Amino acid sequence: MSVAAATTVIGKHRTTAVASNPDRRRRVRTAFLFLTPSLIGVVLFLVIPVIFVMVLSLTRWNLLTPIQWVGFSNYANIFRFDGFGHSLLVTAYYVVLNIPVQTVLALGLALLLNSQRRGSAFIRVICVLPFLATPVAMGVVWNWFFSPTGMINQFLAHLGITGPAWLSDQATAMPVIAFANIWQYAGYNMLFFLAGLQAIPLSLYEAASIDGATKIQQFRRVTLPLLRPALMFVLVTGVIGSFQVFDTVYVMTAGGPGNATKVANLNIYNTAFAGFRIGEASAMSVVLFLIILVVAIAQFTYFNRRTTYEIA
Amino acid sequence: MNARRPRRSSLRWFSPRPARTLARAAIAAIALTLLSGCAEWGFGGSGSANGTVTLVYSLWDTHEQVGYQQSINMFEKMHPDIKVDIEEIPYGSYQQKITAEFITGGAPDLFWVNTPWLGSFVKNGMLTNLTPLIQASHINMAQYYPQLVALHSVGPKIYGLPKDWDTIALYYNKAYFARLHLAIPANLSWNANGTGSFVTFLKAATTDKSGHNALSPQFNPNQVATYALGVSNDPQSGWGNYTAQAGGKIIPYPYAPVASLTSPQVNVGMSFLTGTLTNAHVIVPGALSGPNANGNNLEQMFSQGQVAMWENGDWNTLAVKTSVTFPVGVATLPIGPVGRVSVFNGLIDGLNSHTKYPKQAWELEQWLGSPQSQAILGSGGYVWPAIRSLDPLFLKYWAKNGIDMSAFLTEAHGQVVNFPVSPGVGDALTEVVNDLGPAWLGTEPTHQALKTAQTDANYILRTS
Amino acid sequence: MASVASVTPAARSASAATTGESRPGLGKGIRLAVFYLLLLVILLVFVTPYLFSAFAAFKTLPEILAQSPARPPTNPTWDNFKTIFTQYDFGRYLLNTLIVTVILTAGQVTFSMMGAYAFARMEFPGRDSLFWMYLATLMVPNVVTMVPLYVMFAHSGLLNTYWAIFLPYVLGVPASVFLMRQYFMTIPKEVMEAARLDGCSESRILWRIVVPISRPIIITATLLAVVFGWNNFLWPLIVTNSNALQVLPVATANLNSNFNSQWNLVLAGSLVALIPMVILFAIFQKYIVRSISLTGINR
Repeated sequence: MSVAAATTVIGKHRTTAVASNPDRRRRVRTAFLFLTPSLIGVVLFLVIPVIFVMVLSLTRWNLLTPIQWVGFSNYANIFRFDGFGHSLLVTAYYVVLNIPVQTVLALGLALLLNSQRRGSAFIRVICVLPFLATPVAMGVVWNWFFSPTGMINQFLAHLGITGPAWLSDQATAMPVIAFANIWQYAGYNMLFFLAGLQAIPLSLYEAASIDGATKIQQFRRVTLPLLRPALMFVLVTGVIGSFQVFDTVYVMTAGGPGNATKVANLNIYNTAFAGFRIGEASAMSVVLFLIILVVAIAQFTYFNRRTTYEIA
Repeated sequence: MNARRPRRSSLRWFSPRPARTLARAAIAAIALTLLSGCAEWGFGGSGSANGTVTLVYSLWDTHEQVGYQQSINMFEKMHPDIKVDIEEIPYGSYQQKITAEFITGGAPDLFWVNTPWLGSFVKNGMLTNLTPLIQASHINMAQYYPQLVALHSVGPKIYGLPKDWDTIALYYNKAYFARLHLAIPANLSWNANGTGSFVTFLKAATTDKSGHNALSPQFNPNQVATYALGVSNDPQSGWGNYTAQAGGKIIPYPYAPVASLTSPQVNVGMSFLTGTLTNAHVIVPGALSGPNANGNNLEQMFSQGQVAMWENGDWNTLAVKTSVTFPVGVATLPIGPVGRVSVFNGLIDGLNSHTKYPKQAWELEQWLGSPQSQAILGSGGYVWPAIRSLDPLFLKYWAKNGIDMSAFLTEAHGQVVNFPVSPGVGDALTEVVNDLGPAWLGTEPTHQALKTAQTDANYILRTS
Repeated sequence: MASVASVTPAARSASAATTGESRPGLGKGIRLAVFYLLLLVILLVFVTPYLFSAFAAFKTLPEILAQSPARPPTNPTWDNFKTIFTQYDFGRYLLNTLIVTVILTAGQVTFSMMGAYAFARMEFPGRDSLFWMYLATLMVPNVVTMVPLYVMFAHSGLLNTYWAIFLPYVLGVPASVFLMRQYFMTIPKEVMEAARLDGCSESRILWRIVVPISRPIIITATLLAVVFGWNNFLWPLIVTNSNALQVLPVATANLNSNFNSQWNLVLAGSLVALIPMVILFAIFQKYIVRSISLTGINR
């Protein structure tokens, strides 16, 4: 199944007209039966919470004292008093560090490993290994690697460079966090690019080279455009995920040094579950949701306007 | 694509029906959990078996836990049908953990309560009002320090039997002062305009690397070897004492929804430290004392002889004893514009308002508030007992161990001001300390930092 | 989501690098050398963190501090693991994680599959709009639901139980439904119609016909669910607070904050969390790759 097909499938499926009869009714009932568990899950654990969080954002509440209704004041206060604006900036910085590098790396890996040479298959599988790692557990390993006397600095010392105190230095803390996530997901994203690459028929390349296109031109004119659906998928899911980074930050820097890595999700977590300020945390969640939504829609629009039509 | 026959695979158990596999795995999982007990599935964890009730008691201090265990051993001997499990929770996450446990219905039966979160716990309804129980048991509340009773009361209701107290004084390096042939006068004082015997004394006690003290014209402020005084950016162990000595209050009254940090008196007290003493180079500069001038480095600087007098609370005595190589004395704080005032605090054991065993929990609470229990903790040098008549026990322990703690007692019997109580005051003070950092680092005028601190504190106090 | 399906390249495509003209032999040799050099770098970068932490978990703390991380342990010791399993209850946390992951996976895959089949090959009113709703919720980030879900669970008295950990996921999730629905859509409708004409109930069609030929996607969905359940951190962190209920990610984080610089313990704890997934992957990797190569890509 190609990713290209996956994203253009809605709307092509028609329901065929069937004569109404007891057999059909039975089948409709079975259909709903099949659907019920996941439907309950979606409504109870996704739809209702989204509505509920918007309601909660208008309250001041700590779960133990009576609810107070405070209108929209939380939305102002989270920026004025809870440093949420700073958190959003820090998160955006992380996204900018993380996504371009990760995407380029994933694409590079896919191009490199989309080959029949001996060893490629093995390395393709190795690339998926980081994806399996518990982010928190791997964060601990990175703490060790990047500690002031850890492996990275030892290695740099051999080269005569004194490494910084990576996670205690405001300038390097966030790049290290970005590195941890790039390491974790580059191989996983490579899979989507691989799928996209494999969906491109050889005949296109043959036709292009007959027309005299160089390999670079072939890459730009054949490969890249046809990879757009995969690219879009990787970028959209990557950005949505990156805006919610939490695990690695929690275990590696806990938001520090100072507030240098206090990403939005961490701020929400601290506000809700350390400070028990449910109203403010909900307002933060809603704001973050809106930002993610706007960014995702922007990406969709950008890509839809420029996606190449399917081949065949 | 046509339907295919199921492929054989070496992994027989996992094929050909993934659904069956999942079902088998799920059943196995559920069976496993039955082995691990029902509590995790939400069927209430049991706290009693064949007549014995087990209470859960939480605290955060590993060292004090030793003393408490001795006390509890006695309690269990006297109450064979009650067992007590002590649970240690790290201080940094203590308030959050107890609150979260309260929300999930699994909070300990008795738990230490420190004043920064006392107001929140009271407002959240987590603590039992002990007044009717105290009256029924005829407990004599006059045996405790009256300030502690007031600290833990809201009107006629009291939320814990006072069990200990602490206050702030000056640990000093006896060897250093002997070398300087400098005796510490008994009643040093300071005035609002920055003059007074205290400042003069501090200057005499500050020496630079060439041996000149700060009174000498050859004193080099860039080459200070030993600062006379180390005070932290802290409302309890640091500036809170000086603002109180100037007549200022952090919050205007207990359970106030606002702070009072912009009063002229608070400014006087704070500026004395960030202005007068810093400019005279007799106090450890904010940048050296720790992040946000929080004083984290002062203990080490004191043990290394870089600070002559370290201001902090008596709970540091054991750490001081084990980490320094020179004899240590304790001096009282100076006398400010309104007198010699120190910040006074004490812990209580909160009784979970939703405990399953109110009778047994009250027995434990009573015991821990009793002279017998407090005698164990006092004579073991763990903490000053809240029962006034037992103070000599603690004094005697440390006198035997080489430190004269009577300065703390002098202050406790003098003017004290309670640590502020209000819902959210702990979080508010964390913000305040952050906002005051620039004032201690000299990058912002003190009155301005206080204004920012006031705004932030007000917000938290108002919304907690 | 193509996911693991594409680990093997189909024969019809080729890397852009090999189309076109022939090259002089020397250039080809250099390119080959560079290729394998890159492969080596990739291998090192992705494997080293696992490898070195595995080394360290078997060393004592002084050894870790004194030796280079790259050096295998000279006297491997099980002490670190003994400590965390006896003194710090890691056996219990392992069990917790196992229980939660298995239940979560079983429920999620089963119910998502049922929903996916309904969307793909069954007819009922409102099918398209309901599917759009599922798709829309794909966009809802976890961070949005965590606070309201916590409040909902608090009021149901379900906090601090196993239920709380897996409930939001066990009834099926839109991502799984979407993944499997896409795959089911590639099964020709005639297969189902024929079975229906034969008098098969939908249930039988699903379990006896569709599932066996959909093994690749079901395996994929299962593995994704297992990895998710095993590694899930934020939700269990929020929703459990008693020590007995910790899952491995939460236990690892707590071990790290309590024993910060005792690398031997902390890395041993991490390894307990990391290794099972690697083992699982190693076991199933051949199975996945082999069965995936059957599907081919219809183009």
